[in-house]
Amino acid sequence: MSEQGFTDAAVEAAHAFRAIMQAMARPGMPVPLEVKLQAPHPLDPASAAVALTLCDFQTPLWLSPMMATEAVAHYLRFHTGAPLVEEREGAHFAFLSASEETPALSLFSQGTHEYPDRSATLVIQAATFNTRDVVLSGPGIKGTTGFGVAGLSQRFWSAMAENHAHFPIGIDVIFAAQGRIAALPRSTRVVLQETV
Amino acid sequence: MNAPAYNFAYLNEQTKRMIRRAILKAIAVPGYQVPFASREMPMPYGWGTGGVQVTASVLTPDDRLKVIDQGADDTTNAVSIRKFFVKTAGVATTERTEEATIIQTRHRIPETPLTADQILVFQVPIPEPLRFLEPRETETRKMHALEEYGVMHVKLYEDIAQFGEIATTYAYPAKVADRYVFDPSPIPKFDNPKLDDCPALQLFGAGREKRIYAIPPHTKVKSLDFEDHPFEVQRWNEPCALCGSRTSFLDEIVIDDKGARMFVCSDTDFCAKQRDGR
Ligand SMILES: [Zn+2]
Repeated sequence: MSEQGFTDAAVEAAHAFRAIMQAMARPGMPVPLEVKLQAPHPLDPASAAVALTLCDFQTPLWLSPMMATEAVAHYLRFHTGAPLVEEREGAHFAFLSASEETPALSLFSQGTHEYPDRSATLVIQAATFNTRDVVLSGPGIKGTTGFGVAGLSQRFWSAMAENHAHFPIGIDVIFAAQGRIAALPRSTRVVLQETV
Repeated sequence: MNAPAYNFAYLNEQTKRMIRRAILKAIAVPGYQVPFASREMPMPYGWGTGGVQVTASVLTPDDRLKVIDQGADDTTNAVSIRKFFVKTAGVATTERTEEATIIQTRHRIPETPLTADQILVFQVPIPEPLRFLEPRETETRKMHALEEYGVMHVKLYEDIAQFGEIATTYAYPAKVADRYVFDPSPIPKFDNPKLDDCPALQLFGAGREKRIYAIPPHTKVKSLDFEDHPFEVQRWNEPCALCGSRTSFLDEIVIDDKGARMFVCSDTDFCAKQRDGR
């Protein structure tokens, strides 16, 4: 059994996109993303589904040190046709793991004030979600919602709060964890929980 | 077995990926107009090619689609778009707002309140609210970047000076999430309050102008106004002649060859629902 992509690309991508779109439209709300594909370790199948749904030859990818294995690079190149880049600022999508140190978010493409859409989307995979790390508010959220991702540090959440402070430029993040995804677009206000 | 001659929902996968990326950026920056490479569709511009491309990119085979034009499901435009997606995506359709998972619309927001499980897709002819004040794209882009919306207020205030009220009744500009001024498409300003804090995701597609924008659920949408001239919606002195509703948007229609007229709901599904007691 080797790695494989979508078997019915149009329909699987349509379902995957709906999950991704729901996640982006409702920041901090985990959405099921069930996929049949087989992704090479350490690429999470949900991360792989995001790549196969959104990435192609028009979207250079950057892989974090942990994600940049030969198998993952080959899989993403083969199934998406996207070029892999060494420099973060050239990447449209970046694939990372919550269990490694997140690089400075400002090193990724932020877009411009005229074209805030010319920015990077980070896909960060993790073990689980929780509701304890941060309190989110803003578009897509009725009132506030608690959110968190296993493995991500206070430094990361502070960086996300800073990312929002520069709205409308900035990055957007999609988290993938065990068949579920959640998102944190730049429009979301992030407040760190005061608990230790 | 008849293999279809086209991809699911007509557009090829690469086009859908490009549009899907644009939709995600539009959601992440509410009210900002994301440029996209609009494709030729098998229907003329003005028939909602922008909305059709957005709908094609968000549809799944499990969806139940409703298409309305001026509030009605049975106009030529609405019927042809619905048929297009039945043929190319095999989706179920409905005329009932509450049964639909995706509603593509031209010129109205349904009267029946939308839910979190629904997506509203607007067909947009002119996405740039500043266009009639500033024809140059480079300039309007700069104005949005700098949040320079003074000219918009000046235009509305000139209306007040001239007519005693704001004369704009359709495509009435509003501010999304305290940041971007946007054009809600040619819906009556009666529908503007429905844009605010709406539980459903709202997506806007302009085919000829190649722009996609979005309002996420529960997002603040504030129609532009002035302290001494607050935003107001249209009102009618009489109820719908068919269902008796006093809360819906009414169209004046001619009912006989002697020119007799009456006011009826523009939202035909809502009107039928009121009459049936659904
Ligand atoms: Zn009626």
